[in-house]
Amino acid sequence: MKNNLSVAAMAAVAMLATGVSFGQGPGVAGLESKAAKDLKGPAPRLPDGHPDFSGLWERPYTPDMTAYGRNQTPDQSLPDEPLKPGGRAGARPTKALPFTPAGKAAWDKYDAANGDYTGSCMPFGLTRSVNSPDPLQIMQNSQYLGLLFEQNTWFHTVRIGGEHAKNLTPTWFGDSVGKWDGDTLVIDTIGFNGRTRLDTNGHPHSAQMHVIERYSRPDYGHINYEITIDDPVTYTKPWKNTRVFTLRPDWQIMEYSCEENNKDFFEGHIKATGDPNDPKAGFTK
Amino acid sequence: MKTKLVVCMAGLLVAAAVPLLAHHSFAAEYDANAKLTLKGTVTKVDWMNPHIWVYVDAKDEAGKMIHWQCEGGPPNTLTRNGWTKDALKIGDEVTIEGFRAKDGTNTCNSRSVTLPDGRRVFAGSADDNGPKARGEN
Repeated sequence: MKNNLSVAAMAAVAMLATGVSFGQGPGVAGLESKAAKDLKGPAPRLPDGHPDFSGLWERPYTPDMTAYGRNQTPDQSLPDEPLKPGGRAGARPTKALPFTPAGKAAWDKYDAANGDYTGSCMPFGLTRSVNSPDPLQIMQNSQYLGLLFEQNTWFHTVRIGGEHAKNLTPTWFGDSVGKWDGDTLVIDTIGFNGRTRLDTNGHPHSAQMHVIERYSRPDYGHINYEITIDDPVTYTKPWKNTRVFTLRPDWQIMEYSCEENNKDFFEGHIKATGDPNDPKAGFTK
Repeated sequence: MKTKLVVCMAGLLVAAAVPLLAHHSFAAEYDANAKLTLKGTVTKVDWMNPHIWVYVDAKDEAGKMIHWQCEGGPPNTLTRNGWTKDALKIGDEVTIEGFRAKDGTNTCNSRSVTLPDGRRVFAGSADDNGPKARGEN
């Protein structure tokens, strides 16, 4: 079976010998340094003609999917939350999510001080990994989009042209399949275990959540990313958030062991829980 | 016995947009109203994920030596900003400005670490929803 990924990996190893190191530590070469000067050029394509999203991508940290920020925009169709008094001058309002009564209850009772599952290094899950500030390495061939998240060194794969199995075992990151809509890869993810939160602020979701992501690459140096949260248990209608990812040809992905010195947790400065049955966890079922 | 802290009233400087507490919220652990300034000697640096820790012996107002541990940014992000674990050595004198942990231990979240000549190391932290966290919005 032809595997374009291994060909790409061999090419990458060859390029390491000629790359340029920058701000990454001694002796580490940039995989795509020879393309660094043409980030506005056209996006690369796979042999099958589809856009290739491979690369090491800097993403905006998105702790709140209802907020404005650098390279991130909340759903413009949602109404604004009223600005809190005493907030930062010039702050933009966040968007009010269309909660169901159950969703609103889950949101109102959540307090990270009572336990954030990520505090004990449990898997972040799909949306919080995409939201994370650490880089994302994408490796792609015709059959798979491989997402290598530096955050906690987690990976997730998307089967391009695949279909969801009938009896999915629920997981932290869900089951993802992708299909092409022109030059946009549309990724459909279901099968979540309901033990995660959408973002650091703790916006809730249920195990019935259905996530739709759209990846497009307008030029060599950028990905336009849109995520839609479709979860009728928690929200009365789907809502979205858009981002811009920036290629970093000068970076390499690095190992990130959340567990190796998690003093905040093992010294008891924070509470953390991965147990969905813990009433303090406040998970929506 | 409560340690008396030197409270820093000046605004805090945040240089680079280094995310500090990417995996859990600042407010869950630290008190945004409990600003502190520590002047002391580095005794250890943990250059490990998920956050670096700088250990400092600092005297309180009564002259008693207190052992502090202060949380910094993630080592990977600091590396990309040009730092290494050798930026601070055991015995270096530093001034740490930050916030105290809510649980009353001698634990702080460091917003800046400054050497006596004014140079800042492990500079900045942002995007953890802590005070003055966002340098980018």
